[in-house]
Amino acid sequence: MSCSQHTAAPEDLHPSLWRASQLAHAHTRCVDTGHPTLSKQLPGGGWPTGTLIDLLLQQPGIGEMRLLRPALAAAAARRIVLLQPPHPPQALALAALGVPPSQLIWLRANRGADALWAAEQVLRSGSCGALLFWANHARGESLRRLHLAAQCGETLFFMMRPLASAQDASPAPLRLSLRPAAGGLDISFVKRRGPQRDAPLFLPLTPPSLQRHATVDRPVFAPASARGLRPELVN
Amino acid sequence: MPRLPLEVFAPNWSTDAGLVVLEAERVLAASPLAQAAGVQPGMRRGGVLMLMPEARTVERSPEREAEALHAVALALLQYTPQVAQAEESTLLIDIGASLRLFGGIRALCRRVRASLRALGFSGYLSCAPTARGTWMLARRRAGRVLRIESLTRRLDRLPSTLPPPARAFAGWFEGIGCFDIGAMRRLPRPGLQRRCGRALLDVLDAAYGMAPELFEWVEAPTVFHAKIELFDRIENAEECLQGAQRLVQQLTGWLCAHQLAVERITLLLEHERGRVARPPTLVEIALGEPTWRDEHLVRLLRERLAKTVLEAPVIGLALDAAQLQPMAPPSESLFPEPGGSEEDRVRMLELLVARLGPDNVLQALPQADYRPEVANAWVPVQQKVRESVRLSQLPADVHSLPRPTWILAKPIALLMRNHRPFYGSPLKMASTPERIEAGWWTEPQTRDYFIAEGQDHTLYWVYRERIVGAGEDADPRWYLHGLFG
Repeated sequence: MSCSQHTAAPEDLHPSLWRASQLAHAHTRCVDTGHPTLSKQLPGGGWPTGTLIDLLLQQPGIGEMRLLRPALAAAAARRIVLLQPPHPPQALALAALGVPPSQLIWLRANRGADALWAAEQVLRSGSCGALLFWANHARGESLRRLHLAAQCGETLFFMMRPLASAQDASPAPLRLSLRPAAGGLDISFVKRRGPQRDAPLFLPLTPPSLQRHATVDRPVFAPASARGLRPELVN
Repeated sequence: MPRLPLEVFAPNWSTDAGLVVLEAERVLAASPLAQAAGVQPGMRRGGVLMLMPEARTVERSPEREAEALHAVALALLQYTPQVAQAEESTLLIDIGASLRLFGGIRALCRRVRASLRALGFSGYLSCAPTARGTWMLARRRAGRVLRIESLTRRLDRLPSTLPPPARAFAGWFEGIGCFDIGAMRRLPRPGLQRRCGRALLDVLDAAYGMAPELFEWVEAPTVFHAKIELFDRIENAEECLQGAQRLVQQLTGWLCAHQLAVERITLLLEHERGRVARPPTLVEIALGEPTWRDEHLVRLLRERLAKTVLEAPVIGLALDAAQLQPMAPPSESLFPEPGGSEEDRVRMLELLVARLGPDNVLQALPQADYRPEVANAWVPVQQKVRESVRLSQLPADVHSLPRPTWILAKPIALLMRNHRPFYGSPLKMASTPERIEAGWWTEPQTRDYFIAEGQDHTLYWVYRERIVGAGEDADPRWYLHGLFG
């Protein structure tokens, strides 16, 4: 009997062990991303709840909300807090994404410290389904503090930060950078519990309905005259 | 509360400035700083000033002490409805019925001590099966007992001068070698009654549980209004909070006594009257959900006071309960909701409103209007909105309506290059236009909205003004109005 049969694989020994070529197990409950190709690339097969998730955006408005649409729709049983979004959010568009307007809370903060404080309060109360926090500058210790606060509950917590902050260290176990692409998004995995992946993942997103309205320059129909009507319609 | 004469002038959270309380020209109590300088009880005023020239001496004020004792009694009403004042600045509370509610005697003592500290007083707590026995233990700082046998043993060892009626006969007791209460009890009762009067025997019987006692319980006033005058001026809001905490403690006790919950409280900060009279600063806190717990009120007050700018030093604080409601019984669901209860959420929103301001915590209230700016209305979260109203305002085809997630607060005029709008890169129209023409009654809009695509495949929501001027302005004008998130 050889020794190798006795030694179990490291991933069977303890749930927090994994090989560098494998994806880790999730420690917390995960919410399905709704995009099967993306879910396969994430540890636990979805967005982890109660964790800081860093989304690094090239600029706001590149499809980040469409990426989160299935997760937000699933979390919309409880409130969804938008903290310091870059522009006023449009409730109708969010309703089209599956988040009813009654579940939305928009928080504005005048100072960065106020925004961080508000994020911590929302996370600690644990009564909201998701928190989306746009921050341009965040220091490492405040990120760590928010990550700890997120672990108190089961709130989905996304931080939207500029692409340049990919260089800085972050306590978030999952960091994705998003760039727009034709018909969807290019997602690169800056950090995840799993193998390094250099090639970005292209994720097709449903575009907003483009051809909904008729063209403006419609040919004008000739006005119908009384004589032009067919006799069977008149009688 | 052995330090009451001192603490009515300087609560235990205030900075020690060497305060000395005099009674009949003799030192009665001195603050730690003054004691460190050598001030002893019984000194004369001259001696104090010689040892510590900067000491502040004040006369003892029995009115303030009685007021403070009443305030503490009011705050203690949150633990039991039976609170009585006793001689020598002590309070007796009957906790027999409260033990299970507060989780046992140790937990209850801890909470009472914390309340006392929040009120700004320091005290000594003891408990015993009889009220008079507790009083004696507390006066001698002799700890807690739970059973009548151990109480008897503990009381027997206390000095014979402790019961107030025995003090007049201290010399006689000493002369006959009767130094402790145990020896006093062994004296023949008829003789003791003839020499010292009935009162002493009554006190002893009550302490040992051999005779019942009657108390005058403190009754909570029907209207709540509490104020404290501060002995020195307060210039930062943080110290105001300490004073406000004391008032909130009193409010909690009063609310528990009357089984009420509070919806709105007002805190008045009275300013020093300088050359001009200043109106007091008003801090008003409205609660979404009536409450009778102090932690939430103190947290809200902390956020509000941190934002308040004090125009002048504060010399007094007053708290009013403006709106009251009967206390709601706690929810009795067996399994708590996973994401915290409704009250948790309301409490979180109140906290956010207290710090960020009501205009920065918003909820969506879409309006049935074609103009995108008007349709996208947000109102403060405290405004009550009926769900049916909100649903009725949503368009029927909301799921297919091309609307951007982010709408710019002010449309950005776009540059034109080669007859094409330009925003970072030339924009290519990706959709058929949507014509919006409405609002002739207020702000008319005549626009053709397009979804445009930049060279990096970002989608923009742009529009073209349909009514343009003549001559120079005849070129179509393009604006960026939204981003598709």
